[in-house]
Amino acid sequence: MRRPSAVRSGGSAAPTRHLGRRGFLSAAATAAAAAGLAACSGRPSPVSPAAEPSGSSSAGGGAGGSLTIGAIPDQDPEVLQRLYGVLAGSMAEATGLEVTYRPVTDYGAAVSLFRTGDLDMVWFGGLTGVQARRQTPGARVIAQRDIDEDFRSVFVVNAATGLAPSEDLTELAGLRFTYGSQTSTSGFLMPAYFLAEQGVDPRGFPGDPGFSGSHDATLQLVASGTYEAGVLNEQVCLARTEAGEVDPAVQLHSRTPAYHDYHWLLGPAAVERLGEDLPDRMTDYLLGLSADDPDDAQVLELFGAGSFVAAEPGDHDQIEQIGEQLGVLS
Amino acid sequence: MVGAGERVGLVGPSGAGKSTLLGLANGSVAPTAGSVEVLGHDLAALPPGRARRLRARVGTVHQHLELVGPLRVVHNVNAGRLGTWPAWRSAWSLLRPQGVPEAAAALAEVGLETRLHERTERLSGGQQQRVAVARVLVQRPELVLADEPASALDPVLTDRTMALLTGVAAERGGALVASLHDPALALRHCSRVVGLVDGRVALDAPAGSLSVADLTAFYAGEA
Amino acid sequence: MSAVVDRPATPVLRRSRARWAWGLGASVVVLWSLAGAGLFSGEVLNPAGARQLSRFAAGALAPDLSGDFRQVLLRGALVTVAYAALGTALAVLLGAVGAVALARTTWGRRRGGWLVARGVVAVPRGLHEVVWGLLLLNVLGLDPWVGVLAIGIPYGAVTAKVFADLLDEVPRGAHDALLAAGAGRGAAALYGLLPPAAGGLLAYSAYRLECAVRSAVVLGLIGAGGLGYELSLSFTSLRWEQVWSCVYALTLLCVAAVVAGRAVRRRLADPPAAAGDRPRRDLVLTGAGLTTAALVVWSWWYLAVTPAALLAERTRQQLSYLLAEALPPELSGSLLVSLGAAAVDTVQMSVIAVAVATAGAVLLAPVAARPARRARPVPWAAGVVVRLGLLLLRAVPPPVWALVLLFVLRPGILPGALALGVYTLGVLGRLTAEALEELEPRPAQALTALGARPAATWLYGVAPRAVGPVLAYALYRWEVAIRDTVMVGLLGAGGLGALLATSLQVFDWPAVTTTLVVLVLLTLAVDLVSDRARDVVR
Repeated sequence: MRRPSAVRSGGSAAPTRHLGRRGFLSAAATAAAAAGLAACSGRPSPVSPAAEPSGSSSAGGGAGGSLTIGAIPDQDPEVLQRLYGVLAGSMAEATGLEVTYRPVTDYGAAVSLFRTGDLDMVWFGGLTGVQARRQTPGARVIAQRDIDEDFRSVFVVNAATGLAPSEDLTELAGLRFTYGSQTSTSGFLMPAYFLAEQGVDPRGFPGDPGFSGSHDATLQLVASGTYEAGVLNEQVCLARTEAGEVDPAVQLHSRTPAYHDYHWLLGPAAVERLGEDLPDRMTDYLLGLSADDPDDAQVLELFGAGSFVAAEPGDHDQIEQIGEQLGVLS
Repeated sequence: MVGAGERVGLVGPSGAGKSTLLGLANGSVAPTAGSVEVLGHDLAALPPGRARRLRARVGTVHQHLELVGPLRVVHNVNAGRLGTWPAWRSAWSLLRPQGVPEAAAALAEVGLETRLHERTERLSGGQQQRVAVARVLVQRPELVLADEPASALDPVLTDRTMALLTGVAAERGGALVASLHDPALALRHCSRVVGLVDGRVALDAPAGSLSVADLTAFYAGEA
Repeated sequence: MSAVVDRPATPVLRRSRARWAWGLGASVVVLWSLAGAGLFSGEVLNPAGARQLSRFAAGALAPDLSGDFRQVLLRGALVTVAYAALGTALAVLLGAVGAVALARTTWGRRRGGWLVARGVVAVPRGLHEVVWGLLLLNVLGLDPWVGVLAIGIPYGAVTAKVFADLLDEVPRGAHDALLAAGAGRGAAALYGLLPPAAGGLLAYSAYRLECAVRSAVVLGLIGAGGLGYELSLSFTSLRWEQVWSCVYALTLLCVAAVVAGRAVRRRLADPPAAAGDRPRRDLVLTGAGLTTAALVVWSWWYLAVTPAALLAERTRQQLSYLLAEALPPELSGSLLVSLGAAAVDTVQMSVIAVAVATAGAVLLAPVAARPARRARPVPWAAGVVVRLGLLLLRAVPPPVWALVLLFVLRPGILPGALALGVYTLGVLGRLTAEALEELEPRPAQALTALGARPAATWLYGVAPRAVGPVLAYALYRWEVAIRDTVMVGLLGAGGLGALLATSLQVFDWPAVTTTLVVLVLLTLAVDLVSDRARDVVR
């Protein structure tokens, strides 16, 4: 009984089975032949960059080359990643490029795919953007949202702790505490920095801090009392509060100072392929999105932005320093 | 129709229905038509509890023995008493073997008393056949059914086994029905011989009225 | 016979010392793991989280079935099926080739070569599909090969081992007779070994397909697309009604795979009698073969897999980039210390997971097993419900279980361990039920025939024969659970999985290498221990 899964059959040999096997073989040969044909057909894969270029179906698409874009999964990724046609279509129309949106579920995967060139332009978080720039020399910062110049995180506590809103983070030091994702700027990096500034060891919470994996999970885990306190992206917290989805057991404790966060990065391979003016074209497109135009407004809403504004590489120097201090940039 | 005290030898070519007939008698085969009366009751018509108690009075040496290989010999012998033991005793016996003297005595009858605590699957085919006989011995049934009970035994053991089975049947005033391959054996140990062909009774005579040659001819299909 | 009377009385009962030692050892390890999870030292429950748990449960009753989402699910399901089919096909191919290299038959007395071959296969086997997926993603980017290879490579290694063992277990008589008659070694294997092993080989391949469907979903979590990808998106914002829709879609796929696999297995174990003197084609098996072939072709077409992608210049560049980053592995003291501690956590998590799963499987399997005869309506319905329940347990990916359990448990390794336990129960419950179904029913029927109560029949006729296979399955799943801890690492806040996830997220490749080496070594060690234990329970 050493190969459990293998012991289940082992019937006796029978002539019918013999023929069955021959059927198997001939079918396999057919399969191989057909597979060879399929390989030559050049059909786009549903899971790789050439698939479903949205631009080709919209006005002005196709002629100017193709661009693959993506975004890290952060707030409501299921909405953004499933409505990507809106963004890709708008971008294609404005730039004349064939734009494909490639969904990703993992922060690290987004960084790697940007490095490998599978994704030409990616919506990164602060820290992931820095990681991506370090691994992909020549990457350019294209734009950020209006709110990213003044981005904040909020510390929340479970009502049972009895803590009132305050600026004093040392109150949190003795609580079971959870961050969001490990490479989230608003869910880990900046809060950890602000905790350390007030003398709280960001990794020293009782029983080690948790990493819930997402802002929403942080909210729920603090609501359940599994963790007594946690920290998340203010934008997510506001959106959930507005929608009435925040459990009353979750109470706001404090708000961090402002920092820069999300931004669009453009990879060097795309610039090489589509021309030196590509970064400017993309910046122009993003900055030109206006909340007054109904189509543009749809795109802006997907990103939870009022508008996109210019960004400088230096905007994220602070994040880079802190990332090095906390050992999350290697 | 088998009466008390009879010793019936079932003969017939392979596939004649000997095993099926024995299965009908102990309730492991359900009749597709008609009914089977065992010890005065129709097994299929009885409520489960009573059917179980009736089955406890029927002991079987199966053609393929149907022992539980990973269990020790003592438990396989004791299995013969599961019909009369309360559930707790059956369970406890697996941890601390119960009824060891009776089991040992039964094994001694078949010459296996030293193997009491051996794992049954480590025994040879002939030894396992004797364990199956010992299981019937401790069960002390009124009706003993035996399907080729001596197929893997040497001549001396064969005769002894048949004697044991007829003995245990006689003890409770019951009957023995044994399917047998060997015409001489059937004539030696049975009071009556029933021959089956294609599921039908083709021969039914007192053993004394038959010769080995008659039965050999019957096997050859010349009945 | 005459000597019988003179022999001394009843022999003394001697219990197997090895079994007792292993049993005692196993209990100690389980207790040690539970202690490590903090079960005997402080609170582990968090009753206040029941509300969050009930939200998750409520999603099960109100899955998102809106038209848009149905489209999303359909597309996802197609990708998942394609990955599973191609991955399994690759695994069977690799397995068939690898089996030749791994079989004792090939090596004969040259044990050294055999050991080396086994050792080589242990590496791909020791890494979870998700790890393969993440590594391949870094080399191949968004190419569909990522999903196909991530399933095909580790599955291929496992399949090679199982195939080799199946071939080695075939009775050698016919094979040796052919050799003695002057047949070549290849011909002897083809005629003497392959036919008797074919049933087992095909059955195992069919079983792998269902596993591959679940693996394809897990791969979706890292971005390889399909149902798992949709599930993971919805899971990030805890849209439970969407998560459940994905789980149900996955359940349907698994049911299809299980039913098809079962039909093929049944047919192989019990072929219909050939009518007449001309051997006839078995329509079911031929149909299954053709369907499989068509599925593989379709998958290849649908995913638009091209061999060229594997040989592309970019692939080579990325591979050398990755190797340059990852080598040499980091060997700093602090990393090794934390790896040691994490390895202990990993072992404890896996032990708890398997202990929970085994206990649950033993309790549920008798209900889940299909009876040999036609059952009465109530047990039949109970069987269907339990089987579906087990299917759901394994259809919900472990990371989801980990978060859900974390709502009602205190942080630590326990939520992760139980998440794996629940998931493993889904698998082990099914395997145990099948082990019960495959038992020859006649010994138990013989007990019924002599008037034994149902409980006694079960204790004497079923349990003693099932305990060996069931423990063997449990030990086998233990090795798998070690690998699976990678999936629940972060949330359970412990184990090598957490370390691996951290190193991967911060792109600390040298540390990733070291962690992977430790993981493979740990898997190997557990494999060895569980192999010894399986010998004892056999």
